[in-house]
Amino acid sequence: MIRPRFEAHNLYPVLAIAAFLLMIAAAVASFSLPAGASARGKLVLAWHAGFASRWLDPQEHDGTATPDNFFTAIHDALIKNQGTELYNHLALAEHFQVANDAKSATFTLRKGLKFHNGDPVTPQDVKFSYENYRGAKADVFKKKTERIEIVDDRTVRFVFKEPFLDFAILFGTANVAGPGWVVPEKYYKQVGADAFKQKPIGAGPYKVVRHEPGVQLEMEAFDGYYRPVNVKQLVMVAVPEAATRVAMAERGEADIVYNIPGELINKVGKLPGITIAPVLSATFFIEFPGFQDAKNPFRDKRVREAVSLAVDRRAMNQAETAGMGKTSGNWINNDVLYAIEVPEYPRNVEKAKQLLREAGYPNGFDVDWITPLPTFYSRGERLIAQLREVGIRGRLQTMERGIFLQRLQGGLKEFPGTQMILHGARIGGSWSFWYEAHFRCGGSLSRDRICVKDLDGRFDQYERSINQTERKKIAEEIQRAILDNYYLVPVFRHAFVNSIGPRMVLSKWQDVFPTITTGYAYPWEDLKVKD
Amino acid sequence: MTQFILRRLVYSIATLFILSGTIFLVVRLTGDPVALLAEASARPEDLERVRHLWGLDRSWPAQYVTFMQNALRGELGKSFNYRMPVSELYFQRLPNSLTLGLAATLISLLIGIPAGIISAVKVNSAWDNVAKGVALLGLSIPGFWLGLVLILVFSVWLRWLPTSGAGGWRHIVMPALALGWYFAASMLRLTRSSMLEVLGSEYIKLARLKGLPDFVVIAMHAFKNALIPVFTLAGVNMVVMVNAAVIIEVIFAWPGIGRLLFEGIFQRDFPLVQGVVIMAGFMIVGINLVVDILYAFIDPRIRLTR
Repeated sequence: MIRPRFEAHNLYPVLAIAAFLLMIAAAVASFSLPAGASARGKLVLAWHAGFASRWLDPQEHDGTATPDNFFTAIHDALIKNQGTELYNHLALAEHFQVANDAKSATFTLRKGLKFHNGDPVTPQDVKFSYENYRGAKADVFKKKTERIEIVDDRTVRFVFKEPFLDFAILFGTANVAGPGWVVPEKYYKQVGADAFKQKPIGAGPYKVVRHEPGVQLEMEAFDGYYRPVNVKQLVMVAVPEAATRVAMAERGEADIVYNIPGELINKVGKLPGITIAPVLSATFFIEFPGFQDAKNPFRDKRVREAVSLAVDRRAMNQAETAGMGKTSGNWINNDVLYAIEVPEYPRNVEKAKQLLREAGYPNGFDVDWITPLPTFYSRGERLIAQLREVGIRGRLQTMERGIFLQRLQGGLKEFPGTQMILHGARIGGSWSFWYEAHFRCGGSLSRDRICVKDLDGRFDQYERSINQTERKKIAEEIQRAILDNYYLVPVFRHAFVNSIGPRMVLSKWQDVFPTITTGYAYPWEDLKVKD
Repeated sequence: MTQFILRRLVYSIATLFILSGTIFLVVRLTGDPVALLAEASARPEDLERVRHLWGLDRSWPAQYVTFMQNALRGELGKSFNYRMPVSELYFQRLPNSLTLGLAATLISLLIGIPAGIISAVKVNSAWDNVAKGVALLGLSIPGFWLGLVLILVFSVWLRWLPTSGAGGWRHIVMPALALGWYFAASMLRLTRSSMLEVLGSEYIKLARLKGLPDFVVIAMHAFKNALIPVFTLAGVNMVVMVNAAVIIEVIFAWPGIGRLLFEGIFQRDFPLVQGVVIMAGFMIVGINLVVDILYAFIDPRIRLTR
């Protein structure tokens, strides 16, 4: 009897046919299903990190720029930053007035305002939202507010214990604090703070239809909003990997893609139908921790100036954001109250070397560590290379973001010896928030690393003053002093680069990113997609 | 046997206890979560408020005792970022991870076993060299790179598959392939060596001498015996795939446990990281316990020697 022998290669034709059939099936399926491509009347946004549910509740605003992306879709405030208005765009408020003595502020609600569940927006909701607010700067509001009066069914008045000059700017800047964002008292109390974050109800242009925590947020246009809402469905999808987001843009799966990293900007810019939106964002600047110490080379102003002269800002901007950032400017963003404009600092290696020689460092000197803001490590490397040209030799110190913030809060003891920090920050509202956080002695991030007493004294005068003209003068004086003395050295303003897909209606990228105080695409209700 | 099972149970509980302590300590050594929960410019008062709100102002031992008390009741705490019970988040994501793990396991079996058999049957031939090359590539190509290449080829160039997310079978093809590829390589190597060992054994030689056809010898005699370690590995691999597909889930924005862990680490969400690691440890320890007990049943030498 002849038995058939097993030969492995006999199977290959079968496997090849099976593979071929699978490929055909996949190709047919690709024609019959849209593979996640956006549907009509729908806008898909690819978000660059996970979604934290706490970002959906303005009552617990963490004071960062991130939650305003969600607030402006789901909720609404009495006044807010929008377009070119820094904090005083009239939203739920039809009008508002801060008293001349800055001891009260009165807001009148628009007529017929509703929450997504149909309940009317009332002054009581405004009062509750303010009183119940427990997020960033909550204690400032609580400390300064004496009472809240409900004047009539549309009017509410905040009465302060003392003149509160920064009230409107704190109250109306979405990326600073959130007591002006109105939540429905009844619903909030009924479901509780945690459940509210899972299924938030607001008075914003979009209502939440589906919320997968950390993954996806599906929203639908709210018919009861006081302004027209153009796109029916707004879907925000969390896609942490940048290359995947770019692929989504390329395939048309996402209409707006946030945060294109430097190395992918050129590729995305060449894609047909894609518009790049380089929104100016955080400012990067150099700090010299403990420069007041007698042994610290940075104690000498000439050395700090030499650092400024050694920095090639244009090269940094070109390499890090494909030239889309801004090389001129203050260390404070120009979209906050009283920030001054500053021209580009020159680069002059020879002059830098000369200044170092004059300061007693003809052969340069060693810096123990140069620490860039995580995760912008390549910027630190570029800075090190540029400083080496003038003889300042530094070593890169990288650390994880949480550790970095913790060490900043730890003060000078965390940065012993000769060190430099390449900071990056974006703070909304007022120049004073920058000073308080990054410069003032005892500030939340500066702690005891800088401490210039005469400037802190001037800042105290600024805080006490209720005269706007005087405040502006002091603010400008302090900023000039910081820059003229090179206490902090501005490097460049980073561009938060996004992409806009071909389905969006626009004549220029600013049509989709019109709000100058943010890197995000709000107001959402104004965005349009093609039919 | 009872004594063996009890001993293994004690080992398992001790392992979980050590794991809980280690993860509790490690997440705290990585920094203060309050720095990330509050704004960068938060004042000390704001930081204190957040610290107190989450009980992080208490001593570490006090926090650990609370954590263990809750864990024993099946409560893994509440996520800082999601403001939800960690167990709820975990079980929301678990089906996605199970689906991905299962699909990747199938792919690894479908590639690894046939290729391993062919490689063993055709040892030292061109087929064997190709299979060894595939195994080498599978073990050495990083998952994130393979994932990005798959997206480029199948989503961007060919436009056959969606880039990311979950939703239908088309969403799972690439992540399962990227995840299963590595495990397919290890499966291939194990199948090959296991088959080679069995094919060289006396009873296979006898079967051949009896004149049985090659197919019968390989499929009915050799393969069946070579399969035991392969399926043991497949089971362990699947548990790993379900719980630790962090990179692949991030690349493909797959809403599974691996991505949840990534988000927890990134945001220094202590309860979330602790909970996910404990659950993964529980699963791995549980599977190993079951395997140990089954082996002890099958092979009495194991329970006598251990």
